[in-house]
Amino acid sequence: MGEYDLTFDAMGSHVRLLIGEPGPGMAPAAAAAEQGRLFVEDFDATLSRFKPESELCHLNADPRERVLTSELMRRAIEAGLFAAERSEGLVDPTLVGEIEEAGYVRSRAGMAGLPLADALVDAPTRRPASPRPEQRWRGFAVDDEAGEVVRPPGLRFDTGGTGKGLAADMLAANLHGYSRFIVDCGGDIRIGGADALVHPYEVFVEHPITGDRAHVLRLGSGGVATSGINVRIWRDERGRYAHHLLDPATGEPAWTGLVGATALGDSALEAETLSKTALLSGPERGREILAERGGLLIHDSGRVEMVGPLAVAPRIRLPEVSR
Amino acid sequence: MTESVRSRRPRASLVFWGSILLFAALFALLVYRFSLEQQATQPTAQTVQVRKVIKRRVVTTIVPTPGRNSVSSGPVSSASYSSGAAPVTTGAS
Repeated sequence: MGEYDLTFDAMGSHVRLLIGEPGPGMAPAAAAAEQGRLFVEDFDATLSRFKPESELCHLNADPRERVLTSELMRRAIEAGLFAAERSEGLVDPTLVGEIEEAGYVRSRAGMAGLPLADALVDAPTRRPASPRPEQRWRGFAVDDEAGEVVRPPGLRFDTGGTGKGLAADMLAANLHGYSRFIVDCGGDIRIGGADALVHPYEVFVEHPITGDRAHVLRLGSGGVATSGINVRIWRDERGRYAHHLLDPATGEPAWTGLVGATALGDSALEAETLSKTALLSGPERGREILAERGGLLIHDSGRVEMVGPLAVAPRIRLPEVSR
Repeated sequence: MTESVRSRRPRASLVFWGSILLFAALFALLVYRFSLEQQATQPTAQTVQVRKVIKRRVVTTIVPTPGRNSVSSGPVSSASYSSGAAPVTTGAS
C-alpha cells in the first residue's frame, strides 16, 4: 500500500498530509490523517485573527495583564517570540494594528489577488525592511507554571505565518513512527520518517511570478517554507498596492527587491522564519540569512537565485543524449 | 628434315615474354571487371542527418546533517491511498 494522501482547507490555505506505513501498534495512516485534520481545524479555531470567537481574539481583547490560556496558545506565543528573536525583530508578531490599517482586516482566503506584475510597477523604491526600535514583542512572556500569557494590556498578537510552521511541526511530532510522512500547511512543510531518508520527497518550489516550478528540492527530513508577496495583493484606502508582509519600522508593506524566498530549516517553523526574514531583508542580507541552511531568492525581475548549499553543491546529471 | 623442324620453333625468350604479357593483360582485364561489379553492387549514398538532443536536469539533494532532526473550517478536498503521490509544492500562501 502507498501513502495516505489527505488534502483540506484550513488556516486560509491548503493543508496536505501524506502518511506512509504505521509502525507496530500504531493507528492506520488514514486514522492518523483524520486526527491530523481535526488538530489543524482546532488550531485554526483557536488561533485565527479573523474569528472573533477564537482564543487569540479573546486574548487580544482582554484588558488584564496576565491571562489564563490554553497550552496551544502559549506554544503559539512562544513560536512567535522565537521568530521575532531569530529575525532580530523583523518578523514581528505585534503588527496587528498596522496590518489592519493596511487593509487586511478579514481573511482573504479564496479571494483573487491583484497581479503582482502591476504592483511591482507601481511599488515604491525598493529598500530592506527594518525592525521597530522599541521591540514591542519583548513585552510578551509565557508563564507555563501558572498557565498564563503576560503582556501589556492592549498589545495584540498575530500568529501569522509562524502559526502554519508551528502547526506543521506539531502535527509531525505525532507522526513519528510512520515509515514516512510530509505535512504541508500552506507551503510550510515538515518531512520525516526513516524511509524518507532513503527515498527523499520531491518538493517543488513555485515561482511567485510565473507560477512555474522554479526548482525541485529532494528532502529526506526537516522543514522547508516559502514566503512571498504574490498571493495576497490588494489596494489600500489610498489606492496604493499592498500585501501582507510589513516592514516593522514603517508599518507598511515591504518592497525589498524580492518577491519570494524559500528556506530550509530543521523545522517548518525555523524555515518559515528564515524565509520571511530573508524576504524582508532584501537580496543582499537575504543571501546571508539563507547561506547556512540553503534556500532560494526570487527577485522582482523573476530571477531565481540559489543560495548556500543549494548554490554550492548541486548534483548535476548531464548529458542524457538520445538520438 | 630435322633442321627444318627446329627452325619453325619460336624462340624461348619470345614465348616467355609473350606469356608474361598475356598474363598481365588478362589480369588487368579481371581487375577491371571486378571493380565494375563492385561499383554496381554498392547502395546509393543517402544523406543522414544526425541530431543530438541534450537534456539538462539539475537535481539538488539535501542530505540530512548528522545530529540534526533529520476545529472549524473547510471540508476535506480529497483523500486517497496512492503509490505515486502527486508532488508537494511550497509557495506563498
